[in-house]
Amino acid sequence: MDTSSTPAIETVGLTKRFGERAALDGIDLQVPRGVAFGFLGPNGAGKTTIIRTLLGLTPASAGTMHVLGYPVPAQRAQALQRVGAIVEEPRFHMHLTGRENLRIVAAVRAPETFARIDPALARVGLADRAGEKVKSYSMGMRQRLGVARCLLADPLLLILDEPTNGLDPGGIQEFREMIREMVEQEGRTVFVSSHLLDEVEKTCDAAAIVDRGKIVTQGAIAELADGGGARHELILGVDDVDRALGVLGASELVAEARPADEGIRLVLAGEPQTAAQVNAALVGAGVGVTRLEPVRHSLEQRFLQITQRLDSNLAPEEVKA
Amino acid sequence: MNATIALQMAGADFLKLRKKRSTVIWALVLAVAPLVIYYIFKGVQHSSNPEAHGPAGGLHGYEDALPVLALFFGPLAAIMIGTDAGAGDLAAGVFRDLVVTGRSRVALFAARVPAALGLCWLVMLVAYAVMVVGTYALASGTPTPGGALVINGLLFTLFATGIVCVVAVGFSSLVGSRPAALTALIGWQLIASRILENIESLGSSRRLILSQAITHFSPIFVGDHHGPRGGSTVTMSTATAVIVSLVWIVVFLALGVWRTRRMDA
Repeated sequence: MDTSSTPAIETVGLTKRFGERAALDGIDLQVPRGVAFGFLGPNGAGKTTIIRTLLGLTPASAGTMHVLGYPVPAQRAQALQRVGAIVEEPRFHMHLTGRENLRIVAAVRAPETFARIDPALARVGLADRAGEKVKSYSMGMRQRLGVARCLLADPLLLILDEPTNGLDPGGIQEFREMIREMVEQEGRTVFVSSHLLDEVEKTCDAAAIVDRGKIVTQGAIAELADGGGARHELILGVDDVDRALGVLGASELVAEARPADEGIRLVLAGEPQTAAQVNAALVGAGVGVTRLEPVRHSLEQRFLQITQRLDSNLAPEEVKA
Repeated sequence: MNATIALQMAGADFLKLRKKRSTVIWALVLAVAPLVIYYIFKGVQHSSNPEAHGPAGGLHGYEDALPVLALFFGPLAAIMIGTDAGAGDLAAGVFRDLVVTGRSRVALFAARVPAALGLCWLVMLVAYAVMVVGTYALASGTPTPGGALVINGLLFTLFATGIVCVVAVGFSSLVGSRPAALTALIGWQLIASRILENIESLGSSRRLILSQAITHFSPIFVGDHHGPRGGSTVTMSTATAVIVSLVWIVVFLALGVWRTRRMDA
């Protein structure tokens, strides 16, 4: 069965209940192939639960899942053949060496997997320390050994649960670079769950924001950050704020304008290109324009905006981009 | 899953076990040390008063030492190894990493059994070798066991410890905690089953006790030489002993598989 054109991960109505509590509440998720996809949410939002459910570590209560085109759990073995995953922190047999730990997992996979052990160790920079017992490894080395263990599958899809937890800044940077290389140079799909907005923004091409077991929004990082392209905001520096506000208030090109510390903040009514017309209108009215800068929203702002609105008991649909 | 992968997986589980020094050392200590202590103690007794105390080795010494290994300390060593094999992946937190390979949980469980048996029998071979050396080296001219008895004794030792080891794998997989499984099984082996097999009012239901069924196959009489075959405290046919042994194995393997399949990894 050719499944190469299907999304890397696809869930429809995925639900996982623990008693009365829904840890996942009708999740519809689609992760395209060949991207780094962030699964972003606060602690307890359901990030690890969805990973555990996708990997068959815990059964779903309702809904359907496809991993690399295969239905899970019906064809779980085929689905996971080319999947590498780190769930929560990577764990190992501490009394064994790094290489022996990889041999344990290689033995469970296909026979040809043994040939991937040394390249995988070299890929994560552990070739020199592979003969040492894992109990002597630092947290960063264990994370890297976890990635090496994933690489044994020659994965089309890597699922990494909070991969930078416990890493120092240098280790985090290394990890980000590794993920980008896997996506850009090796064509793999990387699914990263994280509660760190900065990490997702710097590492991923697309993301889904999850809160209280529901997907709040999903899409490309830039789209998510600016609210799905609905709002184009500008900062204006002018020599006469009152006069400028008067001009902007009368313009059909402007949806909203208000004074701010930097000068004026305005929201365009149309496409970003209309900023030039706004500038021309101001200049035409004799207002000196010293600054015209598009506001780049960070994912963090967007995330806080969404979660604050959720805290005000708005339904997730109402804040969808 | 083909035979190559099954062998690979059993080999990997064997690697985990044999590299765990504490388990290997304690299993060896449990299996070998009592024999060494027995030979030293009997040797000292014999050398201090040869007329009152026979030699440590010889046929008589062999008949004393075999139950020590096969029915008492050997099974304790088997429990140590079996519980480690059954719950080792869970204890280390790597069970989920094996599950996410897509390999079936039944296969993951099944690999534990030959690995545990392999290490258990290796330890028993070492201990049995010590026993045979002691039997012949310390015979002091008294009759020694023949080759057939030595081989039967070895097979009995491997059989007795093997069954206990497999039960331990299943039980610790069921419980999911090695300390809990170890405590329960040692308690059963050392205390509960000894008490139960000596409660005569339980009558023939004592046939269900595993150690009774195992003792039935002993090539020498265990205990006071006046009891049923092998020295068990309750009479049973060989067929019954086989069935009871098989039931223990099948039930605990089934429970282990059931739990391994059902648990959240």
